[in-house]
Amino acid sequence: MLFWMSNIIDSKKAINDEDLEYVVLCQKGDTDAFDVLVERHQKKMLNIAYRMMGDYDEACDVTQEAFLAAYKSIKKFKAEAKFSTWLYRIVVNYSKNRLKQLRNITQREGVSIDDSGEMKIEGVMCQSSANDANPGAQMEKREREAQVQKCITSLDEEYREVLVLRDIQGFSYEEIKDILKIPEGTVKSRLSRARNALKDCLVKVIGDL
Amino acid sequence: MMNCKDIENSLPLYLDNLLSPADKRAVEEHLKSCPSCAKALAQLQKTGRLVDGLAEVEPPPWFKQKIMARVREDAKKKSFTQKWFYPLRIKVPVQVFATIFIVVIAVYIYRAGDEQMKEVLPPQAPTPVMEAGKEPIPQQTEKASEAVTTTVTKEKVASRKDTRDEKADIYDAFSGVAAPKIKEPKKEIPQKNISAGAADMAKVMKADVSADKGRAKLASIPAKKAEAEQVAVPPYASIERKREGYTSDAAMKENRAPEVQSMIPKPTISVHVANINTAVGEVEKLLTKYEAKNIVKQTSAGKVVISAEIKTQKVKDFITQLKIIGRVEEKELPIISNKYDKLLVIEILSD
Repeated sequence: MLFWMSNIIDSKKAINDEDLEYVVLCQKGDTDAFDVLVERHQKKMLNIAYRMMGDYDEACDVTQEAFLAAYKSIKKFKAEAKFSTWLYRIVVNYSKNRLKQLRNITQREGVSIDDSGEMKIEGVMCQSSANDANPGAQMEKREREAQVQKCITSLDEEYREVLVLRDIQGFSYEEIKDILKIPEGTVKSRLSRARNALKDCLVKVIGDL
Repeated sequence: MMNCKDIENSLPLYLDNLLSPADKRAVEEHLKSCPSCAKALAQLQKTGRLVDGLAEVEPPPWFKQKIMARVREDAKKKSFTQKWFYPLRIKVPVQVFATIFIVVIAVYIYRAGDEQMKEVLPPQAPTPVMEAGKEPIPQQTEKASEAVTTTVTKEKVASRKDTRDEKADIYDAFSGVAAPKIKEPKKEIPQKNISAGAADMAKVMKADVSADKGRAKLASIPAKKAEAEQVAVPPYASIERKREGYTSDAAMKENRAPEVQSMIPKPTISVHVANINTAVGEVEKLLTKYEAKNIVKQTSAGKVVISAEIKTQKVKDFITQLKIIGRVEEKELPIISNKYDKLLVIEILSD
């Protein structure tokens, strides 16, 4: 136990993870400490899920599930990387799993996931920009965002995840490498293809950019 | 020299400034001379701006509370599970030992209760007796004429009953009813308190003596009666056995009364006292004091015979103490003894 604690502290020194204090409390059974971690990471978690899924409600569900899974297995967290990295890996994996499930359901029922996703995206956009002054410009912006999101959602998952993490969430290549557990070279090559694929998609959807 | 395809693949990295200086220079030179690649770069930059411009979504209201509610629910469930099932390496042995302990205690209590039940339950009569008849008792003259037909067995059995049953017996004997119905007799003599038992014994004894006398009158052939008395257990005989302090055993052992009686030899010591009942109690106390074993008491007409095994070296002292109770008369009979103990048969008589 002492050995394990000292390992945690050493890792803390090395990584300088401000979440670690609360993580240790959670590992000791303090449920309230997890409240702080949820407060800190809920928005980022939800946005990763949302950009991965393209569906706000699904993203909320996936985020909740990811947090619950993180709490259940928090004792397994060994502080080898930052807690946030570990947490975002969970939400990315949960999003991918959920997408797979939805794809299977769509294939069985013959309903397009993209159509329903688009509607919900528009709904969210309305909600988020309801207070803006120029309704015409906002409508155009919402439409453009929906088109971009549609193109992101159309990418292969391996391209989508690097694009979301790098270009939307702004993680470094190093962080992406840790989150996705893939070599940095792979991150770069996938990102390169993802950006080109997104550009091609947007040219098709919007016309000349 | 890189072609357009290579340049196009390198453009995203060029935007992030991740290319080596040589590659970067090569890309820049190519872009100057290739409008399509330059256009692709412009499109990529525009795509980047579009992606950057994507608004962040906000969590729904009470999102954190919902998450925490689920987390707390899970924690509660987990702690309950841990409480009851983990760690199994501790829980299982504790539960096994607890079960064994409960079983042992239950068996012990059951056995203790059994012992107590033996004490509480009234002792059963040693031999079956004939059911008391409800019909009126026939005339004395009829009894006399029919008495010849009585059997030795009937005589023996009837002699153990109280006066009420005695009358019924006599009727059975005269009416010649074969195969008399057997019934469980009621408690005759209390076994718990020896002194009280002795007092009761005296009452029963008196009654039985009168009944016996009546029967003697009725019997027309004295030889037959003599035979009956010789063979049968003496009337009103009741034997108590007290062994190693377990008075409760007396009730069970009473069934062996005839065997015990046949084992008692002739008295070796006679004690003449004023009050037999009191003296019996005192002798028994004395025997207990001298750690006597196998104490067997036999009550008969006008006397009580007690046999007991006592340590050889204590016999003298015991007889000295016995002399305080009453007038002691030692009979010159061979005393049965083994290496350590002597069998004393004490006859307590009334002066």
